[in-house]
Amino acid sequence: MNCGIISPGWRGKLIRMTSWRRQHYAAIFISFLNNIKELLLTMLIVFVFGQSSQVGGAMFYTFFYGSILLFSLGSGVIKWLTFQYRLEADELKIKQGFLFKKNRFIRKERIQSIDVNAKMLQRMFRLVELRIETAGGGGEPEFRIVALKQEEAALIKKELLSKDRVPDKGQVTESVSQDDSMTAAYPDEVQKSAHERKFRWELSNRRLVIAALTSSGVGLAVTFAAAATSQLQQLIPEAVYEEIIGWLQHSSFVYIGIVVAFVLFISWVMALINTMLKYGQFTIVKNGDEIHLSRGILEKRQLTLSQKRITAVRIVQNLLRQPFGYVSVYVESACGGRKEEDLSTILIPLCKRGEITELLGEIVPEYAVKRQYAPLPSKSIRKYMIKLIVPAVVSATVIAYFLPYGSWALILPVLAASYGYWQYRDAGIGHTEGILLLKYRTLSRCEVVVPRKRIQAMQSSQTFLQRINDLHTIHVSVMTSIAGKTFTLKHIDRMQQEQQFHWYSYEEKRKE
Amino acid sequence: MRATPDQRLTKKALKVWRITASLEMILYLLLAVGYGLASRYFNFSSWVLLPIIIFIITLGYVKIAVIPELQWKRWRYKIYENEVELLYGVFVVRRVIIPMIRVQHVDTKQGPILRRYRLAAVTISTAATVHEIPGLEEKTADELRDYIAGLAREADPDD
Repeated sequence: MNCGIISPGWRGKLIRMTSWRRQHYAAIFISFLNNIKELLLTMLIVFVFGQSSQVGGAMFYTFFYGSILLFSLGSGVIKWLTFQYRLEADELKIKQGFLFKKNRFIRKERIQSIDVNAKMLQRMFRLVELRIETAGGGGEPEFRIVALKQEEAALIKKELLSKDRVPDKGQVTESVSQDDSMTAAYPDEVQKSAHERKFRWELSNRRLVIAALTSSGVGLAVTFAAAATSQLQQLIPEAVYEEIIGWLQHSSFVYIGIVVAFVLFISWVMALINTMLKYGQFTIVKNGDEIHLSRGILEKRQLTLSQKRITAVRIVQNLLRQPFGYVSVYVESACGGRKEEDLSTILIPLCKRGEITELLGEIVPEYAVKRQYAPLPSKSIRKYMIKLIVPAVVSATVIAYFLPYGSWALILPVLAASYGYWQYRDAGIGHTEGILLLKYRTLSRCEVVVPRKRIQAMQSSQTFLQRINDLHTIHVSVMTSIAGKTFTLKHIDRMQQEQQFHWYSYEEKRKE
Repeated sequence: MRATPDQRLTKKALKVWRITASLEMILYLLLAVGYGLASRYFNFSSWVLLPIIIFIITLGYVKIAVIPELQWKRWRYKIYENEVELLYGVFVVRRVIIPMIRVQHVDTKQGPILRRYRLAAVTISTAATVHEIPGLEEKTADELRDYIAGLAREADPDD
């Protein structure tokens, strides 16, 4: 059995991976660090609570952290030892598991997408991660080889994606360019379709900065910063800490306001840096049917989507971007969604509203329609307003009653009412021959573009209260990588509901 | 305007729903009785017991006598050549269109109570959603399943 490490002189040689091989040694280190990362929260909790309770002492800590390290390392080694893969004529075989053995044969036809990612850890060893996604169904649609050489990843990718008959053994030679930049991951594709029409779009640095400044990750960062600040107590010497508390207790609201503003500012800066790192060097390359997305400064990520598998396009404009007319565009795809992005894939991090149709025309022409919406009936105004006013009135009453200066809270219902009206104004529905358009606002303004043939089922619903005004809610479901996703527009009138059902109905279309 | 679907569920479904709701209520009552017994031996306050029992009985009346009736009256379905249409719901009325070409698979399923009354439910799955027609005669359910599966197979994928 070949033990996995590719001989140094393998470049440019005949390679046909018919033997079982292991990942690069670095996989041990990478999975060790990943384990630590996963246990980080537990470690933090023990650290924080362990200090206040009196159990254990130094012995306990040594033992606790020691065993975590040992466990992580051990599991990394075992994973590396037991994980083996083998590329065959038209499938990739994988076996893994120590106690519970698992064999997985991934057949070529079942593969939906293959990504080659160079994350930070992998980059340290000049390695990449290979991520294979298979057609839905079954518990684990995706599968990773954590550490392997870039050339090997490119080869596996090429082999598994090639559509033609598998050539005879020994015929496959691979000459990989010596270029170490990540673009080398697709050298053959670039050559193959040089004659085809290609489209390339990059996120300019100016826009990257604007995207970062207006990212809505700010809220998340604030939460994190607040949590971190509350832990400062553990790190600051007690005398200093008490002094600060004393100072806070004696100071007025203004000082506390300054502290809060400072926390907000820091977290905003953190969110800023995070977004810049995540979406830096964002590039779209459209090549025939394939859309290649790559992004990231520290962690390079690449993703290949098939245009045919895209099921919906979402145009999202958050509150900060609205005044400047900037939007971001997401796609729902039957494969390739990422958890961190709300199961959608970001297609364009930032562009001007006016540019959307043109960009979509280049990338996903099917979706480049003129977006025209009919407003909702005026009787739905109060639906949108009342829904927000009720909780606002309740909380304002409570606040006004219990807190000093609480009567300021009475402004809340007014804000809620205006926001409800705004939501009504931003809601709309429209359709062309083959495309349904929905527009609504939660916090951000959202436009959804769904082709009729991508809609898996259409539903209308009417609650008890809606029945009084004869209003309806419409739901359309599309397929995404994990399960399905349903888009909802509330409070359309009966005419609009009937129109939409008529537009969607396969029975009525047939009769015409 | 679209015609309302005209197929109803079997009247026996109503009976099954009532039985299921009754079982659920009996469980709640048992919990309340258990609490009552415990309050004799331990130092629990027993005055809460009365309101709880009244609440359970009212809820039981609504769930056993009222809701199944409304639910049954509302439930309609229709299988067209190119799509399935469902209409159901008591407090929220839902109307669904599932085109035949989007149907991935059709199953029948049966719990112990449904089986006792020789009834079954038909579930229709698309790539994104699952829909259920509850409470059909076993025979109807089997026929419906095969019929929908047949239409789904024949449906023109270019549509």
